[in-house]
Amino acid sequence: LRCVGLTAGRSRGSGGGDSPIPAVTDSEAGTTGTAPSLRRSPGRRPIPDLLFFGLVTLGALVLLVLIFSIVIILASQSELSFRTYGLGYLVGTRWIVPTSASPFQVYGAVPFIVGTLLTSGIALLLGLPLALGSAIFVATQAPNFLRGTLGTAVELLAAIPSVVYGFWGIYVVVPLMRTTVDPALKQYLGWTGAFGGPVTGDGVLTSGIILAIMIVPTISAVSRETLFAVPASQREAALSLGATSWETTRIASLPYARVGIFGAIVLGLGRALGETMAVTMTIGNRDAIPTSLLSQGQTISSLIANELTSNSGPLQYSAVVEAGLILLLISLLVNVAARLLLWRVSGGRRVVLAQ
Amino acid sequence: MSTPAPTSPPSDAIVRQKSRTGVYVAVAIVIVLVLVIAGFSAGWFKGSSPGGGSPGVCQPPSGTYIEGAGSSLVFPLMYQWETVYGGGTAVNYASVGSSSGITDISAKTVAYGASDAPLDAAQRQTATGLLTIPESAGGVVPIYNLPGVGALDFNGTVLANIYLGTITQWNDPALVALNPKASLPDQPIQVVWRSDGSGTSFIWTSYLSLESPTWAQNVGKGTEVNWPVGTGQAKNAGVSAYVGETPYTIGYVDLNYALTDAIQYGSVENPSGTFVLANVTNTATALTDAHLTLPTAGGDWYNVSALNSPGSGDYPITSLTYVLVYQNLSGAYGSSMGMTDAQGLVDFLYWAVTTGQSYSTQLFYVPLPGYIVTADEASIGSITYNGASVPNSCGASV
Repeated sequence: LRCVGLTAGRSRGSGGGDSPIPAVTDSEAGTTGTAPSLRRSPGRRPIPDLLFFGLVTLGALVLLVLIFSIVIILASQSELSFRTYGLGYLVGTRWIVPTSASPFQVYGAVPFIVGTLLTSGIALLLGLPLALGSAIFVATQAPNFLRGTLGTAVELLAAIPSVVYGFWGIYVVVPLMRTTVDPALKQYLGWTGAFGGPVTGDGVLTSGIILAIMIVPTISAVSRETLFAVPASQREAALSLGATSWETTRIASLPYARVGIFGAIVLGLGRALGETMAVTMTIGNRDAIPTSLLSQGQTISSLIANELTSNSGPLQYSAVVEAGLILLLISLLVNVAARLLLWRVSGGRRVVLAQ
Repeated sequence: MSTPAPTSPPSDAIVRQKSRTGVYVAVAIVIVLVLVIAGFSAGWFKGSSPGGGSPGVCQPPSGTYIEGAGSSLVFPLMYQWETVYGGGTAVNYASVGSSSGITDISAKTVAYGASDAPLDAAQRQTATGLLTIPESAGGVVPIYNLPGVGALDFNGTVLANIYLGTITQWNDPALVALNPKASLPDQPIQVVWRSDGSGTSFIWTSYLSLESPTWAQNVGKGTEVNWPVGTGQAKNAGVSAYVGETPYTIGYVDLNYALTDAIQYGSVENPSGTFVLANVTNTATALTDAHLTLPTAGGDWYNVSALNSPGSGDYPITSLTYVLVYQNLSGAYGSSMGMTDAQGLVDFLYWAVTTGQSYSTQLFYVPLPGYIVTADEASIGSITYNGASVPNSCGASV
């Protein structure tokens, strides 16, 4: 039984990509190795083919140029802040704007890095089980008539604009948190120290919960498609060996769809990290490190939304832009970490197989 | 056993069907995109004139398109103006907040900016040649959400202490002393302020600075300050929505937002010791009684203030709000400011400070007093394009 899952994982790995027909066997992989030389017969490419090649190459190049130009703009616009604070910006815990009371100003990114990681962490913690659960249900357990309905419902969630989530947050979630959830958390989990401070309804936890709901459709839809792509033969093989429904999912479907599900999680996390509107409307927008999960804070995205154009001078502006650069860096790190993790997981399996 | 079977025909069919739908969707998206791009380049979405102007009003070149951005305080009035303004000119105003309005006009990405906070010294250096033209005035009111509690009285000290975090409960003795008849709840006060750079915040913090030395020394005034306590919400509309929905909150918005969103707002004690509930009349008398000395349009307006007006019935938190526009309009809006656009802009501004004032009262703004309108007319008359003056086409008197 274990062997089925392992091989599935491996052949999926060698097949590569998220192709809907991933069942590439080792022998097939061998033959495709010679295929490129056939396709690359020089000078004999038909015009539509050339056109196609040109178009897709252009698409890829434009994307590359876009990414690089964004990085360059962010870097050049944040030069002033970088020169003023250097790496101190990354460990600075204060964000103080100049006013008529005092011209003193200092900008540090820690409050927003903490806010971003906290809200996204909460979102993933709460959203992932929900998303995976619904994806597995739709892909493997749901009766046929429910599949389409549930799938569409989840995709509808993804189509709701984030400002609507924000309004829903203000009108539904914030009051619910203030009257019910926050007081209960304070009463029963107050001893942990994570739920201190005044109960206001908005704050880091509230934003995290709304983010969790927002990333569910992304993770769920992509995971579901990957699970659908698991060949029936995989599941049938497991079933024929006497596996129960849960065992079949665990040893046949999930390992096979692992790469895709991982991609879905990274996508969802990306959305949580970058989400602006709904967070701005519910997090409280305080430029300080949150003292508890119930206290107000600010994420990098909400900081940019609030203060990029409305700032008190060039230094604050460049500090806000530098925060954007850090957000890009965090997203990059998350991607790299996910890939490393994935690589280690599949690497581990190969080692087992080799033995 | 180790090689999975090739994909079965049924799922293959599904895949094919799906990919065909995908192609249709992709083709549809491409068509829509092409149409939109074509539409933008052909100007389909621009400058459709919102009904011809009534006779005797401005006669600007038709088909001009004016973009403005800034103050959310004045947005309801601006929106009314852009709806009723005729003359073949489409006006589009974005309520992005005063600070963003200043940023936008400094970067010349809009034809005019609007701010409730005058330009400070640094901003005047960044964007030279900007004219400050008061186009309306309004009152900023303390709004609150206390279920079952009616009208409340505040004074500057108490408001400052609430925003400083030294008064934290609704039944604080200071509040009880001001409101002996109200049954104030034993609940923590949740303070709400503007998270974006805001002219309304500037007016509010300027008032608190006048009233409380502690506030002036520790927080001060500005479009954005380091708020000691509370929750931030974006724009007047955001603060209004949040306070309206959240019990035990206190916030501050323009009178228009409090009245149109039907949110309870409190009276504020003026320098004569009278508790005044803001309305169109007592904000108007406040502006008149302030007897403002107006700088020239290109001058320093930072200290122009109608706060704490001396009249016994005046509402103390009343302030002008300004349009910011370049005196020399050539190149003032990137490359897209042509002579006809300049004419359209001048006409619109002239119309706004004259005829447009008649829309103020119904929206709870203060119509500008005559002497400010006269000053505005002179300021708008000083606008040039390519060295030549741009006289308005609205007739001498409207």
